[in-house]
Amino acid sequence: MDKRLGVYICHCGGNISDYVDVEKVREAIENDGCVLMSKTTQFACSDSNQKEMVLDIQEQNLSGIVVASCSPKLHLNTFRQVSERADLNKYNYVHANIREQASWAHSDDKKGATEKTILLVKAAIAKARLAESLTPNKIMAINAVAVIGGGVAGLKAAISLSDKNTQVVLIEREPFIGGRVGQWGEMFTTNQTGNELISSLYAQLVTRKNVQIYTNSEVVSYSGSIGDFSLKIETTPRYISQDCDAKELQKAMDVCPVVVPDPFTFGITNRKAIYGFAASQYPKQATIDDAACTHCGACEKVSKNIDLSLQKEMVELHVGSVLMATGFDPYTPENGEFGYAENESVITLPQFKKLIDNSESKLIYKGKEIKNIAYIYCVGSRQGDEGNSYCSRYCCTSTIHSAIIAKKKFKNIHNFHFNRGIRTYGKQEVLYAESLKLGDLYLQATDDSPAEVYSENGRTWVKVNDILTESKEMQVEVDLVVLVTGMVPRSDKKVSTLFKLPKGRDRFLNEIHMKLRPVETAIDGITIAGTCQSPKNVAESVNSSLSAATKAFSYISKGELETEPIVVEIDAVKCTWCNECSTACPFDAITQGLDGDRKIAVVNTTVCKGCGMCTPVCPTDAIDLVTFSSKEIMNMIDALTEQI
Amino acid sequence: MSSTKNSVSYDALVVGAGIAGGEAALNLAVNGFKVLLVEKDLSVGGNMIKLSKVFPTLDCSACITTPKVSEISRHPNITIFTGSEASNIRRVADNHFVANITRQPRYVRVEDCTACQLCEKACPVSVRDQYQFGLIGRKAAYIPFSIASPKAAAIDIENCTLCGACERACPTNCIDFTQEVEHLEMQFKTVILATGFEMFDANRIPRYGFGKYKNVLTSLQMEREIAPTRPFNTILRPSDGKVPDKIAYVLCVGSRDASVGNPICSQICCMYSIKQSQLLMGALPMADVTIYYINIRAFGKGFEDFYQQAKGMGVNFVKGKVGSISETENGNLMLRYEDINEGIVKEEEHDMVILSVGVLPNEGTTSLFSEEQLMLDPYRFVHQTDGLANPSHTSIDGVFVAGTATGPMDIPDAILSAGSASSEAISYLLK
Repeated sequence: MDKRLGVYICHCGGNISDYVDVEKVREAIENDGCVLMSKTTQFACSDSNQKEMVLDIQEQNLSGIVVASCSPKLHLNTFRQVSERADLNKYNYVHANIREQASWAHSDDKKGATEKTILLVKAAIAKARLAESLTPNKIMAINAVAVIGGGVAGLKAAISLSDKNTQVVLIEREPFIGGRVGQWGEMFTTNQTGNELISSLYAQLVTRKNVQIYTNSEVVSYSGSIGDFSLKIETTPRYISQDCDAKELQKAMDVCPVVVPDPFTFGITNRKAIYGFAASQYPKQATIDDAACTHCGACEKVSKNIDLSLQKEMVELHVGSVLMATGFDPYTPENGEFGYAENESVITLPQFKKLIDNSESKLIYKGKEIKNIAYIYCVGSRQGDEGNSYCSRYCCTSTIHSAIIAKKKFKNIHNFHFNRGIRTYGKQEVLYAESLKLGDLYLQATDDSPAEVYSENGRTWVKVNDILTESKEMQVEVDLVVLVTGMVPRSDKKVSTLFKLPKGRDRFLNEIHMKLRPVETAIDGITIAGTCQSPKNVAESVNSSLSAATKAFSYISKGELETEPIVVEIDAVKCTWCNECSTACPFDAITQGLDGDRKIAVVNTTVCKGCGMCTPVCPTDAIDLVTFSSKEIMNMIDALTEQI
Repeated sequence: MSSTKNSVSYDALVVGAGIAGGEAALNLAVNGFKVLLVEKDLSVGGNMIKLSKVFPTLDCSACITTPKVSEISRHPNITIFTGSEASNIRRVADNHFVANITRQPRYVRVEDCTACQLCEKACPVSVRDQYQFGLIGRKAAYIPFSIASPKAAAIDIENCTLCGACERACPTNCIDFTQEVEHLEMQFKTVILATGFEMFDANRIPRYGFGKYKNVLTSLQMEREIAPTRPFNTILRPSDGKVPDKIAYVLCVGSRDASVGNPICSQICCMYSIKQSQLLMGALPMADVTIYYINIRAFGKGFEDFYQQAKGMGVNFVKGKVGSISETENGNLMLRYEDINEGIVKEEEHDMVILSVGVLPNEGTTSLFSEEQLMLDPYRFVHQTDGLANPSHTSIDGVFVAGTATGPMDIPDAILSAGSASSEAISYLLK
């Protein structure tokens, strides 16, 4: 029996109807044999139209619907739900994207856009004719979440999930949790220190029975999909047992011959290859920096709790969902960029913050007391097409906050802010006002002639054409230049590459939709939180982390998940097991199996994503993708080419 | 007025059904918790549902909001009361709040109304349409706006003459003037405040001439002029219906301005003005658009590129605060401003001026609680007692805050803040 179809063509409030004659499209398809009814609608997705669709399906006894509107990325689920509410199997609804593919793409050609839309809708009707009712696959969801990254976002997500009675595995690459926030001193707006914040979060977490913390650990491989991810975690040994106390560590540190710049202070101080027990470094257990250690054995001789022969360990874990909170790297300026690495008086904002924290009564850098400080903003941010074009969001406020702290903590500090327009958005504005009140000077460069750092006879100057004083050239002699470096994506991309997570133009990890699905990624069951997604301040990171935790919890809280039945089917008779399909599969869903004693390809339907990569490579045409079968595609092509 | 005393309990009370409240309610509902969503307005969707397109992606706002609204309206775990307010919320014990809910009569039985608009046609009373920010009129019997949810008529009883024309015109007999205010007392285990914000009233800065000069509009009025469901189907200036060709934006109206009692930055105005300027350039290719600014705050994901894109399209950015606006004989407007780049005071004529008004706290939030008072911050937004580690915590245990009730923020941030508040509420409910 032929299908009884209803077709809905959306105006999208002008997004489509300004460029496509939707009424003409409707007229072009209304007499198609199986089209029982066709309508145009202002907003197909609106509540009132959805209600109308449900009534139409029921009253006209429709066996399929076609919605021609925006991208299915936005509204596939909306119309699937409409079908379900009308007791129509949701796989009998077919979508035609006439906004992104017609009206927006051809806004200069109304006639052409209308003709193309007619064909797109006809093709969708051709597909809908063959559509079949399907049942989603049901899989068990493991009540556990892996949180990757133990910074503030990861810690908050772990606490939140643990509160919701979910097992949490927190995996941190570094020997200590705390991330970037653990490195900061006082923070705006509460003046809480990073140490205080991380210490309190760690204390909340460490006592929980349903949380396992893996430090010095990385995810090295994964398989499976939403509901059941299998992760292999490799842990690098600390080489030091828990019994080593601070006194014993000191002895070992004294004999360790290796000195490296301390990444915890962004290199403004040094440390030994063996270290630990610093404030905000948790767990309170010493470690050896594997990359720097020469394995000379000097420490082993003074401490019985050190064993350099320990090997890396591997564990395998099963979780229902993965939450990425891998954070950011501070931008490292190029050599010579505003004098960086060439002029001794030039440091970065993170280094300056550590310098303030580490200094008592006087601010001293490289033996020199600092009085006049220049801050050069937007280093590594807003670089235009050639570099990082984005704004790093946190740095204006963070710089002004640090400058105020410096002024209050030390005597005779004069701050000169060489900025490109201060962006202390929201309530952060009051900090800017306070800084002005304290007498900080703000000089603003134009975008095409940035501030310049130069030195003369060992003295450092900063010069700028200041647009706040009629673009006059201003020069200031300073003791220290602070480069306000922004956030960049982590240089170590191993874990995001492992999970094949999409990145945006800014190279940060990308969400599916900034407003509709802001913490979900294209990989089902993997969420993103904090600064791995984009620059954020602490509160913003926490909000995104708790949102991701809620989403992860929603995936697994029912213990069962539905997955798409849109998977490939293999015709065992035609298949000759040439292995082409299994090589092409990006999800390792196809393996070798047996049909009697004949080798054939077998599909794991919970892993198959229905991407269709395998279908074109099959030399015997043995693979068909459900809902995109060769027959359906051929039918669509016939509809698209009927006039040719 | 009669009083019906009901006692019904829910897991959570969400106050405010804008995009933050809706998101928070949905997060609770999908995890099995029963939610009462209370909205003062006649429709859910808050401010976002009234917008044109949203920055920085230029997604059509209705396209994002309506399916969310539809999901919220349909969810079996969510009960929505529109035209209703919560008050006298008090904490009785851990996991136990009591609140009074007042439901104003709509004078229309929503379940019977088909939104056929015959009552609108029959109604003889015309007043300014608040959903179009006064740009056009509406009737006293009216459907709030085309994508309202619920999409049903309401009677504006303040302006109604009780002539009965709508009742006679209604084919389903859903108009019911006997409806009365309902007073309910309800029990909840937790409360989420998503009471949103108010826009700064441009009348408070007389030197900009809003309300006096017809061609000075607020940014929300312009938002309606460029929305898909726009009232005039084109952009025109109110004084003479002319299509404008030299439009000015004045930023920081009511923000970063201690003289009007609001020292903070409103966080969204730079970006919505840039968005509107791009849409105007698209709709009126011959028009000049100038944005007068102090600093452009394009800080979020994709914002800086969006700002550069506007510059590339030819939007003129002038660094300078506008001092005053005066009207010329033909209804044009003369802006007096300091051009900071050149260090001199200048004047420039435009034929339409948009005031980019800022964000103020919703004063209604303060009166929600009796007994234990909700602490506010110095700007009268809801105080976040642990702003870094727990941004959604308030001064009352078990009460969480989402979205712009805590301060100005854009849509993505409001949604994440709602995710945060609902996470805390779920943890609290499972404790």
